[in-house]
This record gives sequence, structure tokens and C-alpha cells, in this order.
Amino acid sequence: MANPILTTHVGSLPRPQSVMDAFGKRADRAQLPGVLAAAIDEVIRRQRDLGIDIVNDGEYAKAMRRPIDYGAWASYVYERLSGYEVLDLADGGILSRSKDRADFATFYAEDMSVKEPVAARPRAMVCTGPVRYTGHAQVARDLAHLTGAPRGRTFVTAVSPASIEAMQPNRHYATQDDYGWAVANAMREEYEAIARSGCILQIDDPGLVVLWDWWFARDDAFDAYRRFAESRVEMLNHALANIPEAQIRYHLCWGSWHGPHSTDMPLARIVDVVLKIRAGTYSLEAGNVRHEHDWTVWRDTKLPAGKKLMPGVVSHSTNVVEHPELVAERLVQYANVVGRDNVIAGTDCGLGGRVHAQIAWAKLAALVEGARIATRRLDATA
Amino acid sequence: MTGRIPTTHAGSLPRPTALIDLNRRIATGETVSAAEHATLLASTVADVVREQCALGITIPDDGEFGKATTAAHDFGAWQSYIFDRVSGFAPAATVTDRALRQPAGFGFTLGRFRDRRDWTMFGDFYRDPSGAAFGGKVAVTRGGGIGGGQRPVCVGPVRYTGHAALQADIDNMHAAMRAAGTRHGFMCSIAPGSFARTEDAHYASDEEYVHAIAEALREEYRAIVEAGLILQLDDPGLPDSWDMANPEPPLDAYKRFSRVRIEAMNHALRGLPEERIRYHVCWGSWHGPHVTDIPLADIADLVLAVNAGEYSIEAGNVRHQHEWAVWKDARLPDGKRLVPGVVSHSTNVVEAPELVAERLVRYANVAGRDNIVASTDCGLGGRVHAQIAWAKLRSLVQGAEIASRQLWPAT
Repeated sequence: MANPILTTHVGSLPRPQSVMDAFGKRADRAQLPGVLAAAIDEVIRRQRDLGIDIVNDGEYAKAMRRPIDYGAWASYVYERLSGYEVLDLADGGILSRSKDRADFATFYAEDMSVKEPVAARPRAMVCTGPVRYTGHAQVARDLAHLTGAPRGRTFVTAVSPASIEAMQPNRHYATQDDYGWAVANAMREEYEAIARSGCILQIDDPGLVVLWDWWFARDDAFDAYRRFAESRVEMLNHALANIPEAQIRYHLCWGSWHGPHSTDMPLARIVDVVLKIRAGTYSLEAGNVRHEHDWTVWRDTKLPAGKKLMPGVVSHSTNVVEHPELVAERLVQYANVVGRDNVIAGTDCGLGGRVHAQIAWAKLAALVEGARIATRRLDATA
Repeated sequence: MTGRIPTTHAGSLPRPTALIDLNRRIATGETVSAAEHATLLASTVADVVREQCALGITIPDDGEFGKATTAAHDFGAWQSYIFDRVSGFAPAATVTDRALRQPAGFGFTLGRFRDRRDWTMFGDFYRDPSGAAFGGKVAVTRGGGIGGGQRPVCVGPVRYTGHAALQADIDNMHAAMRAAGTRHGFMCSIAPGSFARTEDAHYASDEEYVHAIAEALREEYRAIVEAGLILQLDDPGLPDSWDMANPEPPLDAYKRFSRVRIEAMNHALRGLPEERIRYHVCWGSWHGPHVTDIPLADIADLVLAVNAGEYSIEAGNVRHQHEWAVWKDARLPDGKRLVPGVVSHSTNVVEAPELVAERLVRYANVAGRDNIVASTDCGLGGRVHAQIAWAKLRSLVQGAEIASRQLWPAT
């Protein structure tokens, strides 16, 4: 009998009220270290009890102040970088250029305005000076929370340079490329600190594909986008150069807001660029209706030997809880195209902040049960 | 391409703002002339049929525009419309002696909506102030006829009185079909079992109540079929009453309970040609976890017992997508068609046409390519934003084209 299919998720889990209060209420701020440490112990225990093999801190240390929050995975870094200040954006920001948002303007105005507080912000952190990493104490604290967990089965998320670039405009560096390299060099310190702990480093990189919709989204711009994406992969690889590939999980997603995603760049058109990224595991969306069919990409594109795929087999994109049989069906489908030993069961994106806590945990339970069914099914046909 | 998969949907489409506004004025007691209402309804139905045909929907409907809603988010018009078309009901607030008519002799009772097992298990979610279960816009307690409020209670003999409203719907549909140049059309009507979940203070037994409702509804069914339209029977009650029985009842008891409802419905359909009837089941369209949904495998034989030519089932959401496999074992009888939902109201994300095609080919492989009609899980109107609803229908049509090319390869 071969190994069971391992289970994990993409990072963000629903925050307990105590943690949100400790970040959000000035009066509770002094309680933060104790509250955070206790809550992280608890969330690690809860993942293990449920049957999640590769666990994390739920991203609890990445500040969230309300139950619905799509941005904590990235916003955490702004207290860890110098060279930024909050400024008004003259043009309404990059979201104003989104083709998806233009094509579905009344939907975004009528149905999304309340639920997506970051969407239309007229202000942003803007780069106005040299970018330097200053988060050494914070990352050390994050890693200290995890000392009780087995390192090879624990992951820590960090935002990619391209995703920082995607959301934080540059007004300091002479060129966008100069800015990209500066961010990559700064973030390298966080990546290496995480890697030194022995934990799995997860790079969160929606920026790579979301920028298609935000900056390009025209058929005649595809070549320009490809060149841009390739250069960002080069920058990221530079930042990851000293870290063993097997210790790196690369997470790509198309943005987790509950929109139509009609302009998502198809995986098939950029999979070769993605595979250039120095990572042992690729975490990709596969559990929502825009990307579920992406499994077929791996019939044509061979996953290089020694690499693993971590498809999202449950998703934040619907409140309906995936049936374990569907989870199993998805996993078996991936196992059939890339080999069962190369598949890890994951989520599309972080569940925290995107679906209700009760639903998030029910989805993780479905993921675990589905992985068990898939393992049995694969054993039976082996 | 020698053949192609026909396309349709489950009925409800987003109502134009003008129609919602007018319905709201009527609901709040404002005097609106019958002519004003009739004119707006006719023109909006003409528009929505033309739009469906232009998009490539083979079998369109009137978007259920004749079933009034007073808000853009509305999960209940498919059933609330009928209270304007039957006699024997009174507002709940005016009836003191009332009880949910319980099915006798099956060993279980049905709770109220909020007592559902899914709602009990996920109470924090359903009670969350964001109202996420209903798109963040609709209060959980909503229900009843136009204007909302509590659902009416049966206080006297149930008779069909909706002839004029029904005839207006049929006339509007006929005119719209002529204008759009199509001979195909369908119209939705509530199934007896789904209607009979209302409170009853009149009939002697559950069975008597169900049969009275079925006889009353027969008039609507017959008129729709005789008008040359496909009659779609909306029956979420068959699967989703299961979740209202708390604790979970024995399966055989639930099936006996359901058979009473199906027998009443089949009786109401007597003499009507099967090939003109589409039976729609779904597990309730609210945006909840749905973990207590009864598996299709457990009720497929009940679904097939309905005297219909087409069976419309959920297949495009993550709780029921895997149930294509049911049809490997439960053989679809010759001459019948499956109408799987290949795009769904359960997510704002618009289905990739490639996924729609994948789903259709899977169904074609188990049921035969000539026996598949591409559809939606449930009505899109009231459940997702209008822009998203129409984008999903476009994906449905594009996906059916891709699937058709695969299933009927050029020789």
C-alpha cells in the first residue's frame, strides 16, 4: 500500500474574536502576545485533531480586525518594510483598471461594495523611499509560536515581491524593474528567516496572475504580460536562491474575492512560467468553477520529477461545503495525471476572512475525509 | 456537427428594476392600474425571451417574471406566487388555531425552516448579521406572498383561482416566442409536495391536504401543457424536506412520505403527455453549507417515479457535482432526458465553458448524448446578481457548444 495523500491548506484560518480584538482594540493591545500564542497553540491542535497533516498558525499573527478580510495575507508586510507611506491615489488605484470590474461594474457596485472593504480604497501604501526589510522581530515571533510543531510538517506564509508590487505603487525607483528587484531583495530576508527555522516556506503570489487583469487584460498585451511575468519569476527566484527547493511551496491564485473572475489568465497560457519558479510544491486553484478544469493542463504539461502539485479541492468561492466524494474525485483525477505520490490535498486559497468560520472548518473536514476516500480508491486500483 | 446538446435553465431570471419597483408599489398598497402592470409585464417578458434566444438558449421561459418579486434578492417567488392563485388560505397572523400539518403514520415530523438540521449545525453562520446565507440582502424570516411576511395558512378548501394571471403569463410567453422566432418554451409551476409544506388548519389529514392541492394545481399544469409549453414542476420539497425532519428520519419512512406526494402529483398529471413535462428537484437555493442534503442516490427511484419526460437535477455545485455517478447504476429509462445543472447559483464565480463541457460530456457518457439538456442548478434570478446570471448563461451555451463538438465529431 502506497502512502496516503497528505492534507494541508493555503494558510488563513478564521480568527477567534480574542485575536481580532487584540489587534483591533487599543485597550487589548497589551494582551496581544499572550492571546496570540494561546490561540495559535489551539489552532494547531485543532488542525491536527481534524487530520490536517501539514499545519500552520492560521496566519493569526497577520493582523485581521474583522471576520471578513481579504487582505491580511499581504497587508501584514507593511509593518515589516520601510520606504512606504500612505498616500492618496490620483487614478483610483490599480483596481480601477480591472477588466473584470469594468465588465461587471453594476455587480461590483451593488453586491460587492460592502463585503469587500479593500476593493475601492482611494489610498494605498506607496513606495516613496528605499525598500528595506525591518520585520526581523516579527518574523522571529511568528516562528517562536511554532516551536512545538514538527518543522517538516509546518508551513509559514510570506507575500511574494510581485504581489507587493501589484498593490503598492512605486514613486521612488527609476523603473518598475528597479522597484521589483528592491522588493525582492528586502523580502529575501523574511524568506530566509523562515527557511532557517526548518519550516516549509509558502510564497503567496496572486500578483503574478492578478496583474494580468489589473495591468494588461488585452489580447494584444499578452506578450508584454509574459515578459513581465518572466522577469518577476526571475526576481522571486533570486530571493529564494539560498533555500532548498523542496522546502518551498509556491501558492498561485487568481484573487479570493467573490467576483465573476471572468478575465482570469488561463493556467494553460502561463504554466511554463510557473514551472520556472524554484519550488518543490505548486499550490494552485482547482476547486472553483473558473479553474476546476485546469487539471487537464497537466495532461499536456509534464510536472517535473521531484515536484508536487497541491490542487485546491475545497474552495472559499462557495458557502456550500464540498461533498467528500467530490474531493476524492478531484484528487483521483490529479493523481491519474501527475502520479499519486505527487499530489497533496489543499484549498484554493485561505479560508479565513473569506467564508464563515463554521463553514471553513467544515470544508477542512471534507478535505480530510475526501483525501482518505481517494487514498482508499487509489490503493484499490494500484 | 450532426447533433447538439439543447440548452435551457431552471426558470427564474433576474427581474428588471422597473418590474421590481412596480411590484413593490403594488405590495405596499399603492393603486396601480391593471393595464400598467400588464403592459410592463408583457414587454419585459418579450425582452427576456429575446435575450435568451439571442444568447443561444434553445428552450427559454418567461424568466418567471409573472411570479412577482419585490426585491433583487428573493429566494421564494417560485412558491409565493401560488398564494395569489388559490383560494382557501388566510394570512398566518389572522389564524389562531393553526398547526403545521404533520404527515401521519411515517414516524417523523417536519420542523420549521429554522429547525432544519443544516441550520442547527451551522447556527452561527445562519444567524450571522452579514446574512451571507441569502446573499447578504434577505432576512432569514422572509416568506409568503407578495409583500413578504409569514406564509399563509390553509383555512378552507383549496381551489385554483389563478386563471387570469396564468393566461396572462401564457399569452405573454406566446407573444414573446413569436417575436423571438422560436417554437420552444417552458413555464414553471409549483409541485404539490412543495406547496403542501404550508400550515393547514382545514383538512383532516396530510394526505387529504396534498391531494386537494394537487387537484387544484392540475388546472395550472393542464393549461401550460395545452398551451404548447413544456411544464416544469418545481419540487425542491422532494429532496429538501428531508432536512426539515429533525432528527434524521429512517430513509424508508421518508420515502413512503415522499411517495404520497408523488402519487398525488402523478394523479394531477393524468392524461398529460410525459414528453411535455420536466420535473425539477433541488435541495434549496440558499447559500448555505447543505451538508445534510439527502444523497440523490437515495431518492433517484422516487425522481424516476414521476411521470415526466425530463428530470432537472443539481449537478453544478460542490455538494451534488459528484452525483453524475448515480446514473451509472440508476438507469435512465428509454425516451427520458436528464437536465443537469452545469452552471450554478451557488457561487459568484462564472463557470469556465471548458468546465461546463466537461460536466456535460460526463453526463452524456452515462446517459447518452441524445438524452442530455444543459441547464442550471436552480433559478438564477434572485440568487445571484443579474450581470453574473447572464454571464453564467453565456458560459452554459458556450460549454454546450464545446461538448457538442466533442460528442458529435465531424466525420
